Amino acid sequence: MSSFVNGNNRIKWLLQTISLVVLGEFAFYGIFRCPFSIPFVSCESCPVIQCPGRKLFLVLWIVILGSAVISGRVFCGYSCPVGTVSEILGKLVVIKRKRRDKVKYKKFFFYGKYIFLIASFLIIIVFNNPRWAIPIRIGDFFNSIKLTIEHANSLWIVRTIFIAGAIGTSLFLSRIWCRYLCPAGGMLEIIKGFSIFKYFMTSDCNNCNECSKVCTMETRPSELNCTNCGECKDVCPVNAIRFGMKFNA
Amino acid sequence: MNDINRRNFLKKSGALLTGSLAVPSFLNGADYRGETLQVWSCGGLAEAFIPANLYFEGITKSSINYSGAFAAALGKSLLGNARTEVFAPRVLGLSKKLKAQGKLLSFVPLCYTKYVLITPKGNKSGITTIDDLAKPGIKVVLSPNASPPGGGATLAIMKKAGVLEKAKANAIHKGDCVQRDVNLIINGEGDAAIVEKRITCLPSVKGKVESFDIPEEYIPAKPVPFVIGIMKWVKNRDLADNFIKFITSEKGQSYFTKSGFISAISDEGKRLTEKYGVRDE
Repeated sequence: MSSFVNGNNRIKWLLQTISLVVLGEFAFYGIFRCPFSIPFVSCESCPVIQCPGRKLFLVLWIVILGSAVISGRVFCGYSCPVGTVSEILGKLVVIKRKRRDKVKYKKFFFYGKYIFLIASFLIIIVFNNPRWAIPIRIGDFFNSIKLTIEHANSLWIVRTIFIAGAIGTSLFLSRIWCRYLCPAGGMLEIIKGFSIFKYFMTSDCNNCNECSKVCTMETRPSELNCTNCGECKDVCPVNAIRFGMKFNA
Repeated sequence: MNDINRRNFLKKSGALLTGSLAVPSFLNGADYRGETLQVWSCGGLAEAFIPANLYFEGITKSSINYSGAFAAALGKSLLGNARTEVFAPRVLGLSKKLKAQGKLLSFVPLCYTKYVLITPKGNKSGITTIDDLAKPGIKVVLSPNASPPGGGATLAIMKKAGVLEKAKANAIHKGDCVQRDVNLIINGEGDAAIVEKRITCLPSVKGKVESFDIPEEYIPAKPVPFVIGIMKWVKNRDLADNFIKFITSEKGQSYFTKSGFISAISDEGKRLTEKYGVRDE
């Protein structure tokens, strides 16, 4: 398993590409066409006929939660289409690298994804995930987005601008959505504490932080926001990064 | 050729013959290769339009660019700056408004909806009439915040039947999405709900609930009729005319009947056309 997960960029990008093809459309529908306040969870009875989530969502959530138990936020690192898009955006702009270390207020944003996770659960459980937009059940690509926006309420507009905007900021701040705002990421971060396999730092670590410099999540192995992507493994100058069962950490 | 093969041969030939006869004659030789027709309809009709469009596309080699959504929303867009070539809305008043604006050139009756009382399979509560919604202890599922045909209309039916207040008091759920709320009936959490018959024909619901007719006098007129018409932005009038002719033909209407609607060309449909005055005047 280690050889499969450890720092092999080609495998990571291959899986991300496959995932983008398979799940990208679902992610797109969730953000721009889903009539519910919290997307990706009320798919079974959603009136939007075209959305692939109607068939995918249950299996997908089982895979996401199952993978989290096995290896923490591995879905974020290898399969999440939003994560992949954020990562691509992050790689496009050089300015991100220059700003990375100047980002202040990290602690302020630290609780963001947990706040959004709690808010999402409240909206789903207490308010039964209300509809904030009129479902365009079927239609062509641009027209459907236009009609959805035209007939959505202001909460839906705010939600959608916020999500799209946060993903877009990856051009300037690496994966800000994934690190600070994604409620699913927050949930996986909690499960990660109990996961079986993970990257971790051995006692040889000299805190040079070379690993966090190559990490798109700007973290270190097994620390907050680590997705077990393994990109950092080969840059460690003292070879202190390992992959294995958490008991080894 | 042995008996079995002969039977298979006859069966296949029969199927082919039936298939070819099912093609409406006016579509024989119709070839609209490369032509696209933009069709908008009330979202509730999507389950019928999707296979009907596919059939039409297959026969005519045309391409139907179809959108289905809440008709009032589409209507609002069309009353504004939006454009489409064929429009199939619910609510006669909307068609008349669009016609008065000169945007809808002409329309014909398309189909009619019907409201039914549904219960979980097995109907343990013994519900058979709308009056039962007022009985103490009956767990009623309401969707008052759903779009009007699913929300407001069902409340209007209960009001006319004189059971609204008691049904509201019995409500265990007041949702905003009929397709989601109907799951409460399927899984037995609720005892009864009022929905359009088309909902009981959805793949996720079909065969999972029991349904009972509601007297027609309780059903408000507004959400019942659907029409289909040509908009002023039509590019290929001949294609649009043939599309509407197909949709309102026996073959086209079969998709709507299968999806839980009353065909406009059936005897019942013709009666409803008269009753609701669905005429392009």
